[in-house]
Amino acid sequence: MTAHGYFSTYALVGLVLLVGGGFVSVAFAANRLLRPHAPNVEKLMTYECGVDPVGEGWAQTHIRYYIYAYLYVIFAVDAIFLFPWATVFADPGFGTTTLVEMFVFVGFLAVGLLYAWRKGVLTWT
Amino acid sequence: MNPVPPTGGSVLAAAHGPLSLVQDIDWAAIAPPLAVASAALVVLLADLFLSGPRKVWLAWLSLAGLATALGLLLPLRGGGRATFCAPADPATGGPPACSYVVSDLTLVLQLVLIGSAAVVVLLSMPMTAPRPWADESGSDRAVPGGEYHFLLLASVAGAVTLAAARDLVTLVVALETLSLPAFALVGLRRDARGGEAALKYFLLSVAATAVLLFGVSLLYGATGAVHLDRIAAALTTLDPKLDTVAATGAGLVLVGFAFKVAAVPFHFWLPDTYRGAPVPVAAYLSVVSKTAGFAGLLLVAGIGLRPYAHVWGPALAVLAALTMTVGNVVAVRVATGSGDAVRLLAWSSIAQSGYVLVPFGTAAGDGADLADRLPASVAYLAVYAVMNLGAFAVVATVGRDRPTGVVGDYRGLVRVRPWLALAMAFFLLCLAGLPPGLMGLFAKVAVFQSVVAGGTGWLAVVMAVNVVVALYYYLVWTALLFQPPVPGPPPVAGDGEAAGTLGSGGTLRVPAPFAVAIGLAFGLGVVLSVAPQIVLRVLTVPGLLG
Repeated sequence: MTAHGYFSTYALVGLVLLVGGGFVSVAFAANRLLRPHAPNVEKLMTYECGVDPVGEGWAQTHIRYYIYAYLYVIFAVDAIFLFPWATVFADPGFGTTTLVEMFVFVGFLAVGLLYAWRKGVLTWT
Repeated sequence: MNPVPPTGGSVLAAAHGPLSLVQDIDWAAIAPPLAVASAALVVLLADLFLSGPRKVWLAWLSLAGLATALGLLLPLRGGGRATFCAPADPATGGPPACSYVVSDLTLVLQLVLIGSAAVVVLLSMPMTAPRPWADESGSDRAVPGGEYHFLLLASVAGAVTLAAARDLVTLVVALETLSLPAFALVGLRRDARGGEAALKYFLLSVAATAVLLFGVSLLYGATGAVHLDRIAAALTTLDPKLDTVAATGAGLVLVGFAFKVAAVPFHFWLPDTYRGAPVPVAAYLSVVSKTAGFAGLLLVAGIGLRPYAHVWGPALAVLAALTMTVGNVVAVRVATGSGDAVRLLAWSSIAQSGYVLVPFGTAAGDGADLADRLPASVAYLAVYAVMNLGAFAVVATVGRDRPTGVVGDYRGLVRVRPWLALAMAFFLLCLAGLPPGLMGLFAKVAVFQSVVAGGTGWLAVVMAVNVVVALYYYLVWTALLFQPPVPGPPPVAGDGEAAGTLGSGGTLRVPAPFAVAIGLAFGLGVVLSVAPQIVLRVLTVPGLLG
């Protein structure tokens, strides 16, 4: 394929962008022209699942959630390794070594959890 | 050996009968880093279950772990072991490539790394001791012992692995295992200065890693290999169209390592980091971390990028000249009575890195002369580890009771602690390369020989001038040790307690672990000065770079 032919395939992408942009702007413009315009306090309020919003939009999250998020990430990553392992460890050719290896890995994570526990990170108050 | 099939376990099964997809591991070969890593885990667990004064065992545990690792090096003598091997390449028919190789080079580097780490543990003992017994002076602020020793051992495990790594992935992972705990170690005292030091070190190191990884990806893209020997083979037969890509990758990898060893102009993090870190951590960074960085540079440049020696040789020559000159010139400016002792050692260690880089700069191109030149760097690193650790040990000792930490504190040290002053004078003269510090002299001569043999005359001249310039600040410091103390009030008359510890009359305690560390470095220094062939033997080991 020539360089010209290669880049001309991107014309389709450009066309999709144009059509998409045109569709949205036409729809919003038509809406604007056809609708009545009568705002009030309720209508201008932030929509939050149908109930009135409470408090500020800016909320502070307690730092201890960070620890939990952190521990969660560790175990999520752990699961990423466990799933492919679980599909193959019983297959021929892997054997006991593979089983032990995973427990060594989980053991390392357990040490991390043990550390967090003994240092009092896991108590909520 | 059976021909290894291209892909697929089923073919393997047909060839070998009962199949095993689990690779064999030479446990003896990987035992030293494994021992260090296990010791790190044991220390972490012990910290959780020991309480109060019994935490004093943590330092002993980590020392025991390092001693075990040293012992496990013994059965590996003779080298020639390799593990984690990829099977022979079916496409090129090349030999199997191994990720972890125990060669003579590996053993020398691991010996230096583990031994230095043990001295650093000795130096950290008073700092990490459980609080009721340790003193609460300003420079001796609390450092949590369990975390400290765990992080230190984890970092050492990375360094020890790095010395044996022979593929880019293992190399990068080992380098990060070395660096990540080091950031935390720098800031572990949790004061403002330590925080700033840790942040600077972290940001610049991460940038260096990014550059390094980018270079690694380009090299892999150009050669299709990660093992260093395969990269070297692929580079010799490289498609000329890929030459620019591979050269860019090589350049970026070398820049990444230049950051790690703090070669000028990538040295900006170093003085502030050393100054903000606890002194034992600064000693660790300047010896273990730096030796590991040079080990990586040695492996990548000396093995993987050997066909490109005509490119990186001149570049590293310029880098070496810059590093020596800038390090020495700034050190000369710091070397006044009110100059900071750790900062002076930091600049001195930058200059010393320059000397280690010099043999790299003489590499002209073909593999044969590389094998003659680069071992001078290894010899210099080994000698540098002994003399620099010694100097840092004395600075750590003096810094405890004279917390201002300026060079002026050392005035008249010979009257207060004659042995300490003599040891310091010896280490400084070694660093300068003057008798009686003969080991420093021999190491410098080895480097000179490699430059002269390599025919890079201008670099030899630059180095000679630098050695002379460096004499100034080492001699100023040495002379201070023997000068009579200043009469009258001490220079810093702050609070009464601090003023009392300054001057000649102030006491200067030398805790036992410090005495052992200084004694070890001093003893080893004397031995190496009398019998330098112990270290210089690496120059004559055939095929040191494998």
